[in-house]
Amino acid sequence: MTVSTLRNHVNSIWSRRSLIRTFAINDLKIRYRNSVLGFFWSVLEPLLMLSVLYIIFTNVVKSDIPYYPLYLLLGLIMWNMLTRATSMSLHCVTGRAGIITKIYFPREIPAISTCVTASIMMLLELMVFSIFIVVFQFVPPSTMALLPIILIIQFILVLGLSLPLSVLNVYFRDVQYIWALITHAGFFLMPIIYRAEIFPEKLQTLLSLIPMTRILDMAHDVALYNIIPSATDWAYIIVSSLTILCVGYLIFKRFEAGVGEEL
Amino acid sequence: MDANAIEFENVTKSFRIHHEKINTVFEHVTSIFNRQNQFERLRVLNDVSFTVKQGEMFGIIGRNGAGKTTLLRLIANIFRADKGNVRTNGSVIPLIQLGAGFQPDLTTKDNIILYGVILGFSRKEIAEKVEDILEFAELEKFADIKIKNFSSGMHSRLAFSTAIQVDPDILLVDEVLSVGDESFQQKSFDAFMSFRKRGKTILYVTHNLESVKNLCDRALLLHKGGVQAIGSPAQVVDAYMNVLRSYPDHMRAGMRRS
Repeated sequence: MTVSTLRNHVNSIWSRRSLIRTFAINDLKIRYRNSVLGFFWSVLEPLLMLSVLYIIFTNVVKSDIPYYPLYLLLGLIMWNMLTRATSMSLHCVTGRAGIITKIYFPREIPAISTCVTASIMMLLELMVFSIFIVVFQFVPPSTMALLPIILIIQFILVLGLSLPLSVLNVYFRDVQYIWALITHAGFFLMPIIYRAEIFPEKLQTLLSLIPMTRILDMAHDVALYNIIPSATDWAYIIVSSLTILCVGYLIFKRFEAGVGEEL
Repeated sequence: MDANAIEFENVTKSFRIHHEKINTVFEHVTSIFNRQNQFERLRVLNDVSFTVKQGEMFGIIGRNGAGKTTLLRLIANIFRADKGNVRTNGSVIPLIQLGAGFQPDLTTKDNIILYGVILGFSRKEIAEKVEDILEFAELEKFADIKIKNFSSGMHSRLAFSTAIQVDPDILLVDEVLSVGDESFQQKSFDAFMSFRKRGKTILYVTHNLESVKNLCDRALLLHKGGVQAIGSPAQVVDAYMNVLRSYPDHMRAGMRRS
């Protein structure tokens, strides 16, 4: 793929940004059933999930992580964004078979709009997070200002996963089950409910190579512990996320052409 | 106005027909060890070449399964040709099987916006047209009703009314002018003809031979994936009648009905 064809792809997607917005808005509307209560549930869900985990991990396991409830909640919210975006993207093309086999629009758009939807939901949950910050009388460090940059890098990573998943699931319908297994394992292997330190050292090194592990660690550092991540960390997550996006896009392009026939 | 709107150059398109559809990773892996005759190729279009000029209304006729819909989908960029070239000059909008993009859980207004944006409008452009569309579809009273409560007539009226708002260079029409009651049909026919007056290129696929004779500038007969005849509508319709005559009587009767 040359630079000029890539630029053409980006332009054709950008010119259809109305479609990305509309898909995203509709996804949210259907999810929240056009109701205020629906929105309320989306806030309540992480709240309840956190309460349960909080009770378990403060009373049973006795985690010694500082600001543990906030540590838990932030990791959960960011991990939710990844699993939501990717699991929704598995169905974003197959679920639109009716329209995709009739009218052409860039096939990237369903996956992109899915990532946008998941990001909007993450922003709602981050509002819950800010309530918890107040409740626990936590004073956010100034490094918190770096969190949005980490979230943008996470978006790149998630898009790099969602694009290939959206078309692969058209050809191989069990990709969705395989992916569900991976995300379930990921939930327990990532630094969400505990820190990586509890694992044997070899496994720790291995896990730290996963971009999402490092993204979560860095988010915890800047949001809670007033630690500015090292330049190596920044370089690592930026380069690895962009690499995954490039590879993901190439896989997407390889399978995209036949989608109309395969559906 | 001599430029070509659509060019087909030796286009061949075939599909894999799987004896047993393989669509999981697991089956792909096991099929490596089990190489039997898993699929055959069905050639739907075979070396098709023709051109449509800008501003022309071009009819396409042929029996069921002759490749008409495949041809439209190649023009609409939904399928890619195996061999040969398909070139289009300008924006293409298909009016095939209307309403496929509707979301039953959204309101009429939201669906108009969704469908309009899929057809290539910006949100702002289509939002300005919502009132007109509701009026044309005679559904003003149902603007905030969820579409899943619609009758099929309301559904297709809404789809058609949204679709005709488009302003493409090339319009692909696949048997959609029979939506709604008499008065709505007349209205849609007028709307359809206004595309013609504005000099749009129209590809018209139909089984209604009279309308091909009356409306089209030229026509093409597809038969068994190839171009059997191309030229003036009257000649092409005659050629089609000859094709039909070559089949036994009972089959012919069945075909006329369909």
